[in-house]
Amino acid sequence: MIEFRPLTYETLKVGEEFVSDEHLVTPEDIETYAFAVDDHHPWFFEDSPFGGPIAHPTLLGNQALRLRHSRYIVRAGLHAKMEFEFLEPIRQGMRVRSRGTVVDKYERRSKPYMVTEFVTEDEKGTALVRGRFTQMLFRN
Amino acid sequence: MNTSGLPLPSLQKEISQRKIDAYSVVRPKSIHTDPDWARQKGFRAPLAQAMMSTAYVSELMTRFLGAGFVRGGTLSMIFIKPVYAGDRLTVHGVVKEKRLEGDATRIVVEVWCENQHGEKTAVGTASGLQRPEPRT
Repeated sequence: MIEFRPLTYETLKVGEEFVSDEHLVTPEDIETYAFAVDDHHPWFFEDSPFGGPIAHPTLLGNQALRLRHSRYIVRAGLHAKMEFEFLEPIRQGMRVRSRGTVVDKYERRSKPYMVTEFVTEDEKGTALVRGRFTQMLFRN
Repeated sequence: MNTSGLPLPSLQKEISQRKIDAYSVVRPKSIHTDPDWARQKGFRAPLAQAMMSTAYVSELMTRFLGAGFVRGGTLSMIFIKPVYAGDRLTVHGVVKEKRLEGDATRIVVEVWCENQHGEKTAVGTASGLQRPEPRT
């Protein structure tokens, strides 16, 4: 049982680890994402050089970005920086999970920021995407 | 061939609230999908998720380098200005550098998104691998 707390700069700890729930990548996920970002590349719906359809490389970015929601109540935040390394193609039917660690927190111009490193893996533990992102926290 | 400075074909993206809703999932108390909440947080309207701009750059790079971006690509972006529903973004890329990496060449591209007022909303770099054609 998780006891959710409001996210504040003060309560957040560097070194804190987050794990997402497992998510099954469905054809509907890929279709919805294609609509949202207006990218209907045939590799996402037909065949690709990887054998069969793949998903948009950034499809699972939100799973990583929302890692802090697995423990905190997050009312608002702004995404300041994003880094991705695309290691293996994402495919429909995969069960994926992201893990992240808070590697830094700092204040700049009176605004608080947190930095998280993450990896997203399939059910076999194969790393699909790795990266790091910086989010600004709202004080209230 | 020296391709440094080569501009990639740009992409245009019309940002609608419906697309933001599909990307971010509609929920109350979200600066992306709840207009009242966005205003309370100091924004004139709901914002597109910054992550959407990474998807646009991913599309630009996948069109440019294909499989060498999907496996082996990188993307690094800083988000500098909010993007709102109704905005029209143009996604740009210019080849900046090429370097050998194993049996492939890593191509580094300077990337940015610009709104309809000519203001940059996100800037960064992306890269991918170009592999030699197999000999027949």
